[in-house]
Amino acid sequence: MNPLDKSGEFMKKIVLGIFAILALGFAAFAFADGIATAGAAPAESAIFKNLLLGFTVALGWQNLWYCFVGCFLGTLIGVLPGIGPVATIAMLLPVTFNLPPTPALIMLAGIYYGASYGGSTTAILVNLPGESSSVVTCIDGYQMGRKGRAGPALAIAAMGSFFAGTVGTILIALFGPPLAELAFEFGAAEYFSMMVLGLVAAVVMASGSLVKAIAMILTGLLLGIVGTDVNSGIARYDFGISELSDGIGFVSVAMGMFGFAEIVNNLEAKEADRSGASFSEVKSLMPTAEDFKLSIGPIIRGTSLGTIFGILPGTHTVIAAFSSYTLEKKLARFPKRFGHGAIEGVAGPESANNAAAQTCFIPLLTLGIPTGAVMALMIGAMTIQGIAPGPQVMTQKPDLFWGMIASMWIGNGMLVLLNLPLISIWVMFLKIPYRILFPGVCLMCCIGAYSLNNSAVDVYFAAGFGIFGYFASKWGCEPAPLLLGFVLGPLMEENLRRAMLISRGDPMVFLTRPISCGQLIVAALLLLMIVLPQIRKKREEVLTESDGT
Amino acid sequence: MVKNKKDFYAGLMFMAIGGGFALGALKFPMGTAVRMGPAYFPTILGSITLILGLITAIRGFTTTGEDPAPFQWKPMLWIHGSVILFGLLVDPLHVGFCGAVIAMTIACAYGGYEFSWKEALIESLILLAICYTAFVYFLGLPFRVFPWS
Repeated sequence: MNPLDKSGEFMKKIVLGIFAILALGFAAFAFADGIATAGAAPAESAIFKNLLLGFTVALGWQNLWYCFVGCFLGTLIGVLPGIGPVATIAMLLPVTFNLPPTPALIMLAGIYYGASYGGSTTAILVNLPGESSSVVTCIDGYQMGRKGRAGPALAIAAMGSFFAGTVGTILIALFGPPLAELAFEFGAAEYFSMMVLGLVAAVVMASGSLVKAIAMILTGLLLGIVGTDVNSGIARYDFGISELSDGIGFVSVAMGMFGFAEIVNNLEAKEADRSGASFSEVKSLMPTAEDFKLSIGPIIRGTSLGTIFGILPGTHTVIAAFSSYTLEKKLARFPKRFGHGAIEGVAGPESANNAAAQTCFIPLLTLGIPTGAVMALMIGAMTIQGIAPGPQVMTQKPDLFWGMIASMWIGNGMLVLLNLPLISIWVMFLKIPYRILFPGVCLMCCIGAYSLNNSAVDVYFAAGFGIFGYFASKWGCEPAPLLLGFVLGPLMEENLRRAMLISRGDPMVFLTRPISCGQLIVAALLLLMIVLPQIRKKREEVLTESDGT
Repeated sequence: MVKNKKDFYAGLMFMAIGGGFALGALKFPMGTAVRMGPAYFPTILGSITLILGLITAIRGFTTTGEDPAPFQWKPMLWIHGSVILFGLLVDPLHVGFCGAVIAMTIACAYGGYEFSWKEALIESLILLAICYTAFVYFLGLPFRVFPWS
């Protein structure tokens, strides 16, 4: 745990800054809101009105049902080994085609945060993270389980996650509208630069080789532009296959690389098989008063860290959870308790990863820019439903936007119920051996891919990307940057073309427009930062540690 | 000699992808910076990918790294083969949903470990029942269920 200590020093310094930013942000919004209300109709702020609309939408029976289905499936995936949220969302996308946009997106969102919630159950009970975001929970969660305190660990994890989810939802409601306002000012140049920044940030946070991650992004961008060119009508790289003139389906890419390739990797390692693992018994769920007292601080700090990491482009929940663990260990009076079942080590990271899972919807819903593989899939889902992702979603489809936000909060509440009283059901699922599980998963993927266009071509492509993904992972290339690039490819090309057309071919347009220039400078700084030997070393330490625990 | 096989092969892969896209773009009009043709964006990206691939491949000689874990051909081929089999059986061969599901699950399970015919057969029938109810009956996906239906 040496690297933990080292990065702890660093964390402590930035944490104060983060708190200051959060406090300032809250104060600014309270102030702005106060002015707005004082000027206009009193006692009814815009946010309140919007949230009211959201809850009316989210509490409709259909939306409630799909929110529940999403959370349920998400938890199931979180508990089941060897299948992640990306593959599941890709698998279930075709099912949502028949639904109206709002319940479809509510369900997909539910799967995502449900999975980040449910992954903690296996971490605590069997010392195996159901999702990569719960690797940190294994450290102290499992030790608590060994001491017969699995129940309190699960309860605190659920409560922390619920608190974090609530804060995350409020933040989306607060930050969404002003960010969308800002995004309306964006022209083609700003959009292009923002995508560059998003992709660079994704690379910085990817583990492993920097060059390989960039090359994976470029590969994704290239694969993304396969198909008919919008401007000239020329079909690019279609090899005479008529299905390819519409482009490669992103569902096939996601299913292949995150579904089939993952399954082969799991079979190889046999790690995913939990049938032989030793289980911790769940006796009583109720945490003691002492547990509560110890957990309040970590939950609040973890939530703050998680919200920040969620909004930043390219970061994922693992980093949030890991930073929170490091921070708690640093702040603890007896750091030696960590690793031996300290409840702070469960409360903090669990809150952090759930907060990050919520707030990463902010850039998606306001700017139309995905920050990770799951968000890239959400963009795809929106496009299929005929919604162009971007700031106009909020103004043109307020019921969808606010309905989704309200449903996230409701979903978080459902998750507490799903995870605590029903824990014995999940334990049952945990005992299914992997060799029984994976053919079913593959079959669902096949049916899903086929029903995209009722054609076997998508099934073949999914298999092809599975093979590609397997080879790529053997050679140390991660699939997430590729999927991100894949979704952004056509958008980037279009905005680049438009920006250059407006500027009459002058590439300086990206530097003379202030917002665009600022984004490019941040992107350059990020790249420069990890090239510096000192920070590079730290990055490798943190990322390998969070991978390997 | 190659001291870092992961980097070397990844580099070759990226060189092939980047080079392929850049070469493929030769067929299309390039256009100008003001009015970019369909070849402009892929040519730039393909060339950068090619260069990054080259750098990665060279690093395979200059750096040392652990060898990639050996390829497990059995699960890889059986699982992806079973997926392609499903596509073939459903679409061009018109065997129908039932046959495709059973054949696919058994082939897929064969790629795993501790395979037994009895277990695979029972599992495929259970999965068929679940998938038929969920996808064909409730969601109404347009599958031909039997070859004659």
